[in-house]
Amino acid sequence: MDIKNYNPAKLLLLLVMLTAGSLHAQKVVRYDLYVKDTLVNYAGKEKRAIAVNGQIPMPTLTFTEGDIAEIVVHNQLKESTSLHWHGVFLPNKEDGVPYLTQEPIAPGAVYTYRFPIIQNGTHWYHSHSGLQEQIGMYGNFVMKKREDDKTFRKGIDDLPTVPIILSEWTNLNPDNIDRMLHNANDWAAIKKGATQSYVEAIREGHFKTKLKNEWKRMLAMDVSDVYYDKILINGANSTDLKSFDGKKLKAGDKVRLRISNGGASSYFWLRYAGGKMTVVASDGNDVEPIEVDRLIIAVSETYDVVVTIPEEGLSYEFLATTEDRTQSASYFIGNGVKQLISPLPRLKYFEGMKMMNDMMKMNGDLDDMGMNMSLNQMDMNVVMYPEITGDAKQKDTKQKTDHSQHAMNMDNDPNRYNANALADIVTLNYAMLKSPYNTVLPKEAPVKELKFTLTGNMNRYVWSMDNKILSETDKIPVKKGEVLRITIYNNSMMRHPMHLHGFDFRIINGKGENAPLKNVMDIMPMETNTIEFLANEEGDWFFHCHILYHMMAGMNRVFAVGDYENPYLPDKAKAYKMLQRESNMPHFMAQNDFATNGNDGEAMLQNARWSLGTEWRLGYNDMHGYEVETHLGRFIGKMQWFMPFIGFDWRYRRMGEDEHEKNIFGQKNKKDSRSAVSLGFVYTLPMLVNFQAEVYHDGIARLQLMREDIPISKRLRAGFMANTDLEYMVDLRYVLNKNMGVRTHYDSDMGFGVGFVLNY
Amino acid sequence: MATFAMVFVFTACEAQIKNEKKENVKIYGNCNMCKSTIEKAGNINKIAKVEWNKDTKMAAIAYDQKATNLDAVLKRIALAGYDSDSFRAPDDVYAKLPECCQYERAIKTSAKTEMAHTGHSGHDMKATEQKNQSLKAVFDNYFDVKDALVKTDGKLASEKAKGLVKAVTAVKMNELNTEEHNVWMKVLNNLKEDAEHIVETTDAKHQRDHFITLSKSVYELLKVSKYEVPVYYQFCPMANDGKGANWLSKENAVKNPYYGSQMLTCGKTVETIK
Repeated sequence: MDIKNYNPAKLLLLLVMLTAGSLHAQKVVRYDLYVKDTLVNYAGKEKRAIAVNGQIPMPTLTFTEGDIAEIVVHNQLKESTSLHWHGVFLPNKEDGVPYLTQEPIAPGAVYTYRFPIIQNGTHWYHSHSGLQEQIGMYGNFVMKKREDDKTFRKGIDDLPTVPIILSEWTNLNPDNIDRMLHNANDWAAIKKGATQSYVEAIREGHFKTKLKNEWKRMLAMDVSDVYYDKILINGANSTDLKSFDGKKLKAGDKVRLRISNGGASSYFWLRYAGGKMTVVASDGNDVEPIEVDRLIIAVSETYDVVVTIPEEGLSYEFLATTEDRTQSASYFIGNGVKQLISPLPRLKYFEGMKMMNDMMKMNGDLDDMGMNMSLNQMDMNVVMYPEITGDAKQKDTKQKTDHSQHAMNMDNDPNRYNANALADIVTLNYAMLKSPYNTVLPKEAPVKELKFTLTGNMNRYVWSMDNKILSETDKIPVKKGEVLRITIYNNSMMRHPMHLHGFDFRIINGKGENAPLKNVMDIMPMETNTIEFLANEEGDWFFHCHILYHMMAGMNRVFAVGDYENPYLPDKAKAYKMLQRESNMPHFMAQNDFATNGNDGEAMLQNARWSLGTEWRLGYNDMHGYEVETHLGRFIGKMQWFMPFIGFDWRYRRMGEDEHEKNIFGQKNKKDSRSAVSLGFVYTLPMLVNFQAEVYHDGIARLQLMREDIPISKRLRAGFMANTDLEYMVDLRYVLNKNMGVRTHYDSDMGFGVGFVLNY
Repeated sequence: MATFAMVFVFTACEAQIKNEKKENVKIYGNCNMCKSTIEKAGNINKIAKVEWNKDTKMAAIAYDQKATNLDAVLKRIALAGYDSDSFRAPDDVYAKLPECCQYERAIKTSAKTEMAHTGHSGHDMKATEQKNQSLKAVFDNYFDVKDALVKTDGKLASEKAKGLVKAVTAVKMNELNTEEHNVWMKVLNNLKEDAEHIVETTDAKHQRDHFITLSKSVYELLKVSKYEVPVYYQFCPMANDGKGANWLSKENAVKNPYYGSQMLTCGKTVETIK
């Protein structure tokens, strides 16, 4: 602008524009987050974790609706990272998912997320890179209502409010946990006392239950796969809340807790020693207040809960207990002697096993026996809760005066899994949630109906949707402006918290126009739920199970809304391939028995569908011989019981102990020196016995039966092998810790031996 | 071939606590049984050791500072039922302690009656003097069934038993007082089962078999929940294959439901429940 010739009209216009601009100026709220490696000691050992601005959890980010959020990430790690804003509506490129909405934030880089806050409520944020979420990258993200918000609720939105985030700590490296899950290493079960071995079964009068369970080809099941050493609330196992805003808390005071479940794989029971709690919001959306005695918060969900301090002189325990009841964390509210609440008793695992036996068909499908389950109204696991269905059945016949009598005569009672009908404890379920507002979607919008069946395989730890993992599917195209109505059926044996990025969805739960809005839906085995949302923001939106280890196993999909061009990902096709690869990584395991009669071992590299494995039996001398077998196989079918393979066998021996040179087919076998290629398959029979059949290039055929890791007792495992070459083996192993055991075995070729087993 | 011998040496030694810190803390309790429970709850091998004196009520607690802290020890002891000045035990755990161990608590909570089952920890139970309407319906229907059996009218008994089943299902546990509730928990299943069986058959003989146990359940209930008029607990020595059986009646005059007109007056009143 030429100063000499300024036009007063132009100047006036400029002035008006500037003032108008400042009237609508939105406040930019900026946070600088420095992400660094750190050492922590939460459970007796010093271990690596990730802290942001020197703290775990990450700093609480607070905004008011209308602000512009500007979050600057300084990645001081030696690896890449990212931050995802759980449940926040924003432009797709700010969503924080590496290879889907951005490139990973490189080590040493500074990266800025910037988006307007167009909603309010309790949310949280976390890393979406690898397993970083498990070691500290989680934090509260609170969006407050505007001062003049019409939906402001007196007595609820004006209470003293505390954001708390629940999380877990394990001394194990999460990559190791992931590997152990894929290798069915049951160390976590041993730590939890949940092995459900034969000796334990006999002791509890459940031998037949255990047999039937293995006949149906199931491994011991727990509600959660991972063993954690500690549970944290805002980074501490026990916290005192004595005052708020400088004022001491006293009898009659109410406190509103904004609770986020930042755990990677744990569901938590939430209970309060001071009596009932009032639920006022879920996933950042208001709900009509509901009074409950307890609720279970799924992985990544949030709930706003109001508690009251009943009496003076006591500080009341707000207790979060893991679903498997092994760990808990406390938040004491009030001043005085700490009033405790009685811990939840351990689960009755064999009751659960019996229930699973009834629910599982031989082909691996679940059978809900006409119960039409939905919305967490029926909790099948109730059979395992002593606090609802009584203490474990005592072997003697004397009836105890407890609630177990209720369960025993109610085998056909439709209410037998309804916790709210069985006891006086009120447990929250989705059918109770009601939005205070009309949440109906625009009627003119076209509706696209989708169906998903959640599928999974505990034995191989493959988790999928419609039996396809992300790497086996394309993005799902969605027209911008469409309503997506998704019906989900859970045909797996675990519950899954399904999370949608970028949108809230309505849960169709019988509340009509007031269906609640959430972005995480926990769906239990055999439940069918329907959700719907308006796809009005274009971009690639992730839809996945929020249990971290299930997500890494492939239980994901992408909704591609509209034709979004992402400035950060010029080659979206290539990026998608990277994303797919990330959730189907191969896992390695190896095991060797250093025994008196030789080295017995195996190594395996496998991913969701393929397995490359080698087994070896190496004697210490030529007489006992050496044998190495390699197989490359592909798992077929939903339950993956069938695996065809190509193999390679190599043997060398001189004057063996075992003289048989003919197999049962009468074929002569040059045992002393042999290299052969084979074609065959493995099939898992009932009782988890692996039947292997193969034919070698020289015409020799071999059939084999094998079972490893029969859980005899908590730490004893037995195994056997027999084949048509008239070879056989029996073994017994004692588990010392997650990497070591002591083993004794008898092998028809190598004789009797004792040794140390090391496994990775 | 080399054989290696593995020798395992187990050294049993006194569990020494490293980084030891000692504190004296007051823990409420009564007797020696309390002492063993307190110490068992507090002790963890090599980490914490508790010695409680039942006279002074003081506990000498030695613990490994690096591995744990005083609060952890006291919390464990409180979860076993024993208050300290830091932690107050949950009411339902305290209630489960044997009577002799139920020490005088420093802080008493108002309103909530202490319940023996964990299921009611959040529940307000009002001790009621008023006659409980839902239980009355159960008793009324019982008497109807009894009268039908006195008449040896299987069909009528089955009809009346339907009313009994309805009354039993309609009972809301949270309307019962503590004692009624405890008995209700005990008898509920048998009550239901017996009543249902009586509905299912019109054979009076079969119904009478169930009436034996049904009467037992109702008797227990009547003992803790008063009825509007005195009830007579009566006994017939020949019923139940000579083992004898009881029933309840609003009339003192004996009218035998197990034999009906065959031996109407056989039996006598053994107890009056007022």
